[in-house]
Amino acid sequence: MLPMLFTAGSRAMPVLGGRAIRRFTSTPSVTETAPSSFADHTHIFNESFTPVKAAAEHQENIAKYNAYLNTFIDLADPKQIQEQAESASQRWKSNQSKSPLDGTVMGYKMNLCTKELRTTCCSPMLDNFQAPYTATAIQLLEDAGVIMGGKVNMDEFGMGSYNTFTNVGPAKNPHNVLGKDTAALDQGEDRSPGGSSGGSAAAVASNMCFAALGSDTGGSVRLPASYCGVVGFKPSYGRISRWGLVAYASSLDTVGILAKSVDNTKLIYDTMAKEDPKDSTCLTSKQRQAIAEAIKVSPVSAEQNPQHPLSGVRIGIPQEFNIAELSPATRSRWRKGIQVLKDAGATVVPVSIPTTKLAVGAYFTLATAEASSNLQRYDGTRYGHQSNEVDEKEDLYSHTRSEGFGKEVKRRILLGTYVLTSGSFDNFFLRAQKIRQMIRDDFDAIFARPNAITGSIGSVVQSADIEETDAKVHALLSPCSVTTAPRLQDCVGDHIDPINAYMDDILTIPASLAGIPAMSVPFGICAEDGHPVGLQVMAQYGDEEMVFRVGRILEAKGKTPSLQ
Amino acid sequence: MLQHKGAINLALARDGANIARRYFFQLPSRSLLRTLSTTVNHPASVPRNLVKGRWEPIIGLEIHAQIKSATKLFSEARTIFNAPTNTNVTLIDAAYPGTLPQLSQECVDLAIKTALALDAHIYPVSSFDRKHYFYPDLPQGYQITQHYEPLAQNGKVELSSLDGLDYSLTIGIEQLQLEQDTGKSLHDVYPGETLLDLNRAGTGLMEIVTKPDMRSSKEAGIMVKKLQQLLRAVDSSDGNMEEGSMRCDVNVSVHEIGKPFGQRCELKNLNSVKAVVDAIDAEIERQIQLNESNIPVDQETRGFDASTGQTYRIRSKETAPDYRYMPEPDLPRLVLSQHTIHALKESLPELPDIRRLRIMEEYDVGIIETRTLMGEEGMVEYFEQVLRDDSNRNVKSVVSWTIHELLGRLHSRNLQFGSQIVTFSQLGSLIDCVDKKIISAKVGKSVLDIMVDGDCRLAMDIVNEMGWRQIDDQMQMEQWCASIIDRYPKKVEAIKKGNIGVLGFFVGQIMKDSKGRANPVVVNQLLRQKIGISSK
Repeated sequence: MLPMLFTAGSRAMPVLGGRAIRRFTSTPSVTETAPSSFADHTHIFNESFTPVKAAAEHQENIAKYNAYLNTFIDLADPKQIQEQAESASQRWKSNQSKSPLDGTVMGYKMNLCTKELRTTCCSPMLDNFQAPYTATAIQLLEDAGVIMGGKVNMDEFGMGSYNTFTNVGPAKNPHNVLGKDTAALDQGEDRSPGGSSGGSAAAVASNMCFAALGSDTGGSVRLPASYCGVVGFKPSYGRISRWGLVAYASSLDTVGILAKSVDNTKLIYDTMAKEDPKDSTCLTSKQRQAIAEAIKVSPVSAEQNPQHPLSGVRIGIPQEFNIAELSPATRSRWRKGIQVLKDAGATVVPVSIPTTKLAVGAYFTLATAEASSNLQRYDGTRYGHQSNEVDEKEDLYSHTRSEGFGKEVKRRILLGTYVLTSGSFDNFFLRAQKIRQMIRDDFDAIFARPNAITGSIGSVVQSADIEETDAKVHALLSPCSVTTAPRLQDCVGDHIDPINAYMDDILTIPASLAGIPAMSVPFGICAEDGHPVGLQVMAQYGDEEMVFRVGRILEAKGKTPSLQ
Repeated sequence: MLQHKGAINLALARDGANIARRYFFQLPSRSLLRTLSTTVNHPASVPRNLVKGRWEPIIGLEIHAQIKSATKLFSEARTIFNAPTNTNVTLIDAAYPGTLPQLSQECVDLAIKTALALDAHIYPVSSFDRKHYFYPDLPQGYQITQHYEPLAQNGKVELSSLDGLDYSLTIGIEQLQLEQDTGKSLHDVYPGETLLDLNRAGTGLMEIVTKPDMRSSKEAGIMVKKLQQLLRAVDSSDGNMEEGSMRCDVNVSVHEIGKPFGQRCELKNLNSVKAVVDAIDAEIERQIQLNESNIPVDQETRGFDASTGQTYRIRSKETAPDYRYMPEPDLPRLVLSQHTIHALKESLPELPDIRRLRIMEEYDVGIIETRTLMGEEGMVEYFEQVLRDDSNRNVKSVVSWTIHELLGRLHSRNLQFGSQIVTFSQLGSLIDCVDKKIISAKVGKSVLDIMVDGDCRLAMDIVNEMGWRQIDDQMQMEQWCASIIDRYPKKVEAIKKGNIGVLGFFVGQIMKDSKGRANPVVVNQLLRQKIGISSK
């Protein structure tokens, strides 16, 4: 039996002995050995496809589509991007590249702080806000040679699922837009890119950048990835520093990645997944090692057999994710996904996560409570919007906050404030905390590998070929969204019931509450409306590698025409 | 606050739940511990203080002591009193979007030391919570505190006759928790405008809550002073109420013996021990008057106006804010190993009660002198250094010169005690000169004056330069005696007739003529010889 490595906690997932203390260490820098040749060390660039060429393509797409798609809100200076791309190209030619990502251009969600452009969170409250510092995640990318393309659209403070709650107008889904004359498009048919990281997903899908960073609190990276047909990855809570990510719900917030392939996603993830003393909830190197050790329980063979690359891997199909609201087309893609994994040699078994149906309620209780707390700081006295209609102190606050927050943000602040009032704290907040723990326990109960955070022990699968009904699994497969991207006109306006909108997060929320890694992998096109469908792969806490491994198989098969 | 805590416990019981406990009570036995170790200090049947023959006041304290750490509780900004406005502020202190708190090890260590000095139980796991309210000097819109799981609970402080009480008394310490201080609002520097100084925002505080174990303003006043001593002894806080590094809120209620406790009022913003004592007395008086007029006492927060000597309402219970406590998601639980706690315990300095007894026994010094020695920071160390420096020194002389002469001179110059003004070797050299009769005590005092005024030399150097060496030259003294006897024949007669007191006048006169340099003992003997009366 494994020792319980860490204590379980109510707060941010990694709750670790001694970790609470501030240590005066510097942020670790990225050290890369100099590669010997272009293509040997990156699959991204080669002699004919250089950073300069890629950057030019991105600029071209921005020029063509950004006005219509409303993706990039603040753009970096194109001249500066070109210069940076030229330097990177030079470094590649002289075998001095900083990393495999050197010279790539990325877009950053408007809630990630950068010294250069605004960090508005797409809120009137921060419309004039220029952060005096850069988020750790972005700093690590910059150290690896990544070029900032600009800051992208999002739902205000990360609150929304369609990128419609934004102070600059909704971003649009690029699918079926690319290659067309935007002036001739029927705007009534415009689809949502999903949210809240809609701008990030749309920017990647329309090749305005190599990849983008988003943030995922309850599905904000995975849902737009699914709608836009790109890879969307939310790592385990605590893997990537939150320093510089403007908080929505601190115990759920993760920096997420949107990219065009699983391999690119992994490259970016590996660059950012580092210890950071500035974020006390970010895993230390020691803890990362401990997790890596714990994951070794229930090993699976390496991908030796090219016919059966998932041989020995057990995949669970969570029955509770098969909800009535699931569109038949989505359900059929899910079945196809199961078949693909079986064909790749995986053992697929049904599993049960009974608390799934309680997840949405628990999520909106906890997330709104934390949001109401995190957004208390926007009072108009130090930065951001300040109301002109000011006589008394109380007026300054109420006017500033009434003017500075959008409708959905206000709704969630009010909900969260109510949840935390002394009369309802026990009934709502504590209960939601309990449900969250039950969900974690549910996941721990079905994963073969141990959870180093909760101290679950996992179990060694003796033989992967035995199809016991109670057997434990290495990964889970589910759809990522209930439907394909909805039409924008169905997402805005007073006729929209917010509760229905919240239900669209039902498939992504359980992984957020459990803090486990989850990825939306594009898996073909919906037969009915021709829009992308994403399948979600989840694995045990800290087992990102398993998510990548299963994701790669789905990605490869999802592209084959027979599945279209 | 206590009410809230009770509610959580109820919820636990109701759900019988491991899960909530795992979230909020890492130690399931915490509430049990609290019950077990609550000792009854004094049987209610023996009231210590009855006002107007029937009313017993019940008093509890809530102390906020600023932690004497180099940096703030959650940021690396410095903590300097009276620094230029907004110069010790980081992005974390100003609550910039995307910033996160980073707990300071130093603050935790100092709080643990304080808890140890209060004989409290330190929890291996404690946690942080957010207390929400809107105010411009609270940049985050919430204060990070330890509402649900404080650092330490169940301590105690002993008071006795040595502290100025007529009896011995144990005051229970409910808990000690870490929390953030606020910034400062500066009102009407410009008319109608409020300016903000965030220098103090985020500075570490220890909130120390006592049990309602005090029964009079005197007990409360002595308790506050005792806490100050403890904080200064472990060097975790300046404990200075006037500068605001220690703030004191008081809960007061009155009841009749045998009846339940009365409704309590909280007195806030008391910035001296005197204000604490006066406010409690005024509040007891007010509550008794209400009770005697059959007007119910409302639970409210009250202030104290020193000019009228009255307390006044700040807010009633109805308008009390709902702080919406929530676990702080940006900070993991604070996990302390027994090793850490043990190491800090080992590093504790001698605590006041122990030190006081030791000084009284080891040096045979009275309580008043001991209290004076301990009343000034660093004075005991100074005193013992003077003694250690030369084992031949006389304790009584050292006590007298340290307390009466040196401290008296510093106080009359409005100076705090400091070991640098007159160093221990300087004072030692002075005491030696006097005790070895190189100079008289009177000259010694003049030498000390010179030292206090900034002369860094040892006593001998000053004495030699001034030519103040005591004169033992027999011839010279005989001359002085002869001349004074010649000058005052009538007084000589008086002495011969038995009016020995006049001899003192002669000695005094000679001391004056010799500018204090004559040895008064020798002079006395010579005079007696010459006048022809027996020695003593």
